[in-house]
Order: sequence, then structure tokens, then C-alpha cells
Amino acid sequence: MTIDRWLSRIPIDSPSAFMKQVPTILGFGIAAIIAAVPNGVPITNGAVFVAGIALVTVASILSFVVPWRRLHPEWVVVVPTLSLLAVGLLRLGTGSSASPFVVLTLLPFVWIASEAGRINILIAALTTFVVLLAPLFVDGARNGGDVVRAFFSPVIYLIVAVVVNEIAHRMRIQLAAAHESNEKQDALLAQAVSAQNELVLNEARLKTANRLIQSIWNAVTEQSVIGTDLDGLIDVWNPGAEKMLGLTEKQVVDGKHHIIDFHLTSEIEQRLQDMDARFTTVSSVDEFSALVDTVRAGSADVRDWTYLRPDGKRVAVQVAATPRLDENGHRVGFIFVATDMTEAREFARLKDEFVGLISHELRTPLSSILGYLELMRDDEDAPLSEEQQQYLGVAERNAHRLLRLVGDLLFTAQVESGRFPLDIKDVELGGVVSASAESARPVAANAGVTLVSDVPESPLVVRGDTVRLGQAVDNLVSNALKFTPSGGTVTVSLRPDGEQAVIAVTDTGIGIPAVELSQLSQRFFRASTATRNAVPGVGLGLTITKAIVTAHGGRLDIASDEGVGTSISIVLPVETPQPVTAAIPRAEMAP
Amino acid sequence: MSDPVAVPRSKRVVIADDDDDIRGLMTIAANRAGVEIVAAVDNGKAALDAVRAGDIDLAVLDISMPGMNGVEVAEAIRADDLTRSTLILMVSASVQLLTDHGVVADRSDSFIVKPFSPRLLSTRIREMLELGEPA
Repeated sequence: MTIDRWLSRIPIDSPSAFMKQVPTILGFGIAAIIAAVPNGVPITNGAVFVAGIALVTVASILSFVVPWRRLHPEWVVVVPTLSLLAVGLLRLGTGSSASPFVVLTLLPFVWIASEAGRINILIAALTTFVVLLAPLFVDGARNGGDVVRAFFSPVIYLIVAVVVNEIAHRMRIQLAAAHESNEKQDALLAQAVSAQNELVLNEARLKTANRLIQSIWNAVTEQSVIGTDLDGLIDVWNPGAEKMLGLTEKQVVDGKHHIIDFHLTSEIEQRLQDMDARFTTVSSVDEFSALVDTVRAGSADVRDWTYLRPDGKRVAVQVAATPRLDENGHRVGFIFVATDMTEAREFARLKDEFVGLISHELRTPLSSILGYLELMRDDEDAPLSEEQQQYLGVAERNAHRLLRLVGDLLFTAQVESGRFPLDIKDVELGGVVSASAESARPVAANAGVTLVSDVPESPLVVRGDTVRLGQAVDNLVSNALKFTPSGGTVTVSLRPDGEQAVIAVTDTGIGIPAVELSQLSQRFFRASTATRNAVPGVGLGLTITKAIVTAHGGRLDIASDEGVGTSISIVLPVETPQPVTAAIPRAEMAP
Repeated sequence: MSDPVAVPRSKRVVIADDDDDIRGLMTIAANRAGVEIVAAVDNGKAALDAVRAGDIDLAVLDISMPGMNGVEVAEAIRADDLTRSTLILMVSASVQLLTDHGVVADRSDSFIVKPFSPRLLSTRIREMLELGEPA
């Protein structure tokens, strides 16, 4: 261990009592050695000399073993006081006033005088006074000089004690101030380091976030993201916009393009006219209103538009317009995110085309089959035998079955495409329910199922499409008959329930497992009980029924107990809102 | 292809449908209505030519035909002063088509949806031509 390291371990500014005692111990050690050597300082009184050595030893042990800082720190002055008294004894034992060891007085004296508190000036002065006057009392004055020195020296010591005490006091203040300053500096330094670390961390986070945003930004290649200022001047242009509209960000931003440059004028004008009939001629700023009017009013706007590329090509898009905000939440522009709808619209067109094709291609041969069957049946010149009539009936029934299936498929497609034609009128539900029951009666009789119709006498009227509601009830009754074994009962009832009308079709059939109830109205879903019992069907009836009921603002309630029966209710509001879709003229259908 | 049927009647009818069997069914129904079938053709152009060629009282037109469809034939008949008075009965397998083209309101006097009953078509033709019950 080096001296520097040793010294660094010594607390110079607040040394322990023992450390302060060390110089005194060394002084006494040297004195003892000098007294012990031949021709050194003679020991004139061995007992007093030893007492002095013993006293300083006691003081030294006390300085070491007593935890002065934890006790009253001011009591540490006991150690130098005892040491000072020990110097007095040492002096008495080595020649009294002639002893050279009087100089050892300085060490404990300075310690006492430098301790905090003015009382220590007094202690230092009085103890020194005792030490210096002791030879005078023990040996008597040898001359006048001794008397003067004995009294003069303590006065000087008193003055020195005052000075030392004051200097020590000031040094302690300065030391405390320095300590405080150091602590503040340390605290500031710690804060600075912490802030620096936070800054570094935030910078790293910012870089990560920036990289993420940049990655996302570059990854959005199938949607155009265009940012503008409040007037529509473009200043943000993502790779998706570059791909969709064929211009680079630099070309658009440097060229000071306005977002209106990429819109069809006819669409903008149409939108402005829809917004307000006052718009007859439009300026640039007004044109921009067509795009952001809703956003300015506080809502996001999603709308179909057609983008116009610089090469003249058009892109069918769906654009979501939202406000662009600064760090204080103030609107500073707009963001337009556009999705290319070309393929989606083409797909919808193809789907419509396919539905139309199916409609034509399936109905046309069925028209021939049913038409010619009817001609055969009506041929008065060659009447059919009863057996032939029966065969013809089978053929007709199956042709109609196929026709219904085609109709159901087309209807489902119409529902999916959102084109659901309803002819809304006042509908007396009693008539609808009775008609369904009556038309199903022959089927019920053939199946050996009792069909009960329970309709109130007073009319129950809702707004709706008579044919579609009839179709819905027909589907439910037809299903109930299919799933009810011979000997069972199907009940179709109508009853008012507050502001609602409830048409319930209840059977004593095979029922539906509880876990399958939620899937019943999915297209082509068939209950396991249906497939297990080989009940014919394709799984469209309930889908269509639900679609019809929903379009009338109603709901379909289904309850079933496997092996016991099923009850399905159509719940319709008595005051249905206005027609959901435009009505179409009703064509006359073949029987 | 055409299937002229030489049954002289006072009311003259043109039939157009690209499906041979349906056209045959229409022809039988029209015959039973007691009208003169001037032409029974499989395309719109031939139907329009037949209407323009003679004093036709009624054109029974299928909508979906190759080339000139039934709607276009109806528009051409309506646009011509000489043929404007010809009644038009539109036939289609698709209610949607009838709706999309607005034929019910604008371009035809009546319409019927496939599959149709020959009996019903016969009745409709007589009603449109005010022929009364068949003899």
C-alpha cells in the first residue's frame, strides 16, 4: 500500500480522537526516550513522571476505545485535557519549571482550543494555567522571573487559545460551506449524468421509432398516403402514392402539386353540388372543400373517388381523409390514405355478371321444361293417362324445386351484394301466416304431420314486403314439416307483443343440437340432425329468412331441444322505418 | 334463323328469343292467343327488321340476345315514328335485368319473367291486343 493511499485514508478534515491524540503520544514517546537515555533529561520525580506517562496512556486508550462521535462529541475534549494534565505531571517529574517538555503543552492545548465552542478557550487556558503554575506551587518560585513567567505564559496561552478557537471556528464554517458546495456539485453532477443518460436513451428510442416509422412508410406500397397543408398543397407523398400515381415525392413536392390535381373535376363538382346547391362555379379553394368538408367539421371521411394520373389513366380508389395535427393538437393539414379499388370493383362487377349469367342460363332451360310440361298437361287433343299425369307431376315438382333453389341462390347473392329489393307496403300478417299454412297443408297431410294455424281475428299490420315475408314464413313452415316425423305437430302462430308482431313456427321434430344453434343462419349450414336423418335441403332457407327479417328491422329467435322440437320466431316491429331499399316492380311469376 | 308461321290473323306479332325451345314455346302460346306470327327470330336485329318491315301490333322480345338485345330493339322501335305504336312485351329470366334497364317504366308496355306459363303468356298477349277470349 502506498503512502498516498495511506494518507488518503486519513480523514484530515474530521480526524478521529485517536488521530488527534497521535502527535501527543509521539511527543510523550520521544520524551520518555530522552529521559531514559544516559545524560538525557534527568527524571527528578519518578512517581510523578510515571503518573504523567500513565495518564497520557489512559487518555490515549480513551481516545481509541470511546465512540466519541456517537456520544456527545463535545466530551472528546476530555482526552486533550487529560493529556495536558499528563504534560504537567511529566514536567514535574523531569525538573519542574526547568523541564524541556513544557513544549508538549502545545499539542493538547491546540486540540482543546480548536474544538468547537467558546468554553474550550476557557478549558484550554485554565488547564494550561494549572500545568504552568504547578511547579510554582510544588517547588516554589526560584526567582521573580518564574512568577512572572508562570502568570504571563497562561495569559499568552489564553490569547492563543482565543485565536486558535476563532481560526478553527472559521475553518469549520468554511469547511462546512465547502462540504455543502461539494454536495451540491455532486448532486448537480449526478443530475447532469442522469439527464445525459436519459438523453442518450431518448435519442436511441427516437432513432428506433424513426426507423420503425420509416420501415412502415416504405412498406405501404399498396396504399397511397398523401399529406397536405390546410389549403391542399402536397408535402407528404409515400412510395404507395408514387406507385399509384406515377410521380416521385420530389416531383410532387418540388412541383408544388395540389391534391385536386389528381382528382376528376367532374367528381369534385358533383360532390360540391351534393354538398350545397349554391356551388355552380368552383374555385381552387372551393374544390378542396369537396375533399375535406367533412374532416373540417370534425369527422373522418371515407369516400369513393377516382384518381387521375399524369398519364391520363384513372384509378378507382377509396379515400380516408383525416386531419393532420401538430404537437399541440392543432390542425395543420390533412392526410389522405387511398386504397386502389380497381380489383374490388371489377370483382363485384364480375360477381354481378355471374349472378346474371346464372339467372339466365338456369332459368332458361327450366322455362322450357316447365312450359312444355304445361303444354303436355293442357293438350286437349291427347289427354294424358292418370299414370302419365302422375309422372308429369313428379317432373314438375322437381323442376319447381330446382327453380326455387336457383331463386334462393340468386336471392342470397343479392343480399350479399347489398341489392335487396323490397316492395314496402302495409302487410296484414294474419293473411300472410294463413296463406303459408294453407299452402303447406297438402305437404303436412302427406307427411302425416298435424299443421295448426293460430292467427288472431284482429288484423296485425306491419310495413313490409308481402311476398318476402310470405317467403320467410314459408321457409320456416317448410323446414318444420321436413324435420317433424309422422304423427308430430307443427304450429304456426301470430300474436302481438307490445310494439312487435311475433310469428312463431313450433314443431315437435328432431330438434337441433344446442352447439349448432348459432350457426343455423350461415349459408349452406345444415344441422347434424338434418344430415343424420337425411332431410333434404341445401342450407339456404334460414339464411334467406334471416336476411328478409333483418331487412324489415326485425329479428329471428331460435330455440330448440334435440329430440323434443324447435321453435323459431320472426319478431317484427309494428312500425317499421321507411323502405330499406328502393322497391322494384313486381313481375308476374309462373305458378 | 327464323320460323315464320303462316297463320293469317288480324293481329300481327313478332317473337324474338335466342333459345330455340323458348321461342317455340312463345310461338305456341301466341298461336293459342289467335294472332298472326309474322316472324319468330333468334336475334334483335332480325326482330327489328321484321317490325320495320310490316305493320306489327306486338313484339315479344327477350332481353338477353346476342348482338342487339331486347332493350335496344325496344328503343329503336320507340324511336321510329313508323313503329312507335307497336306494343312491346318484354321477357327476361332476370328481374334484376328488367329493373336495371328501366324497361318496365320506359321501354315496354308489359313484361313477363321466365319461367313463364304458356297459358299466362297467351292470356297476356290477348289482353294486350284486346282480343278477348279465344274462339
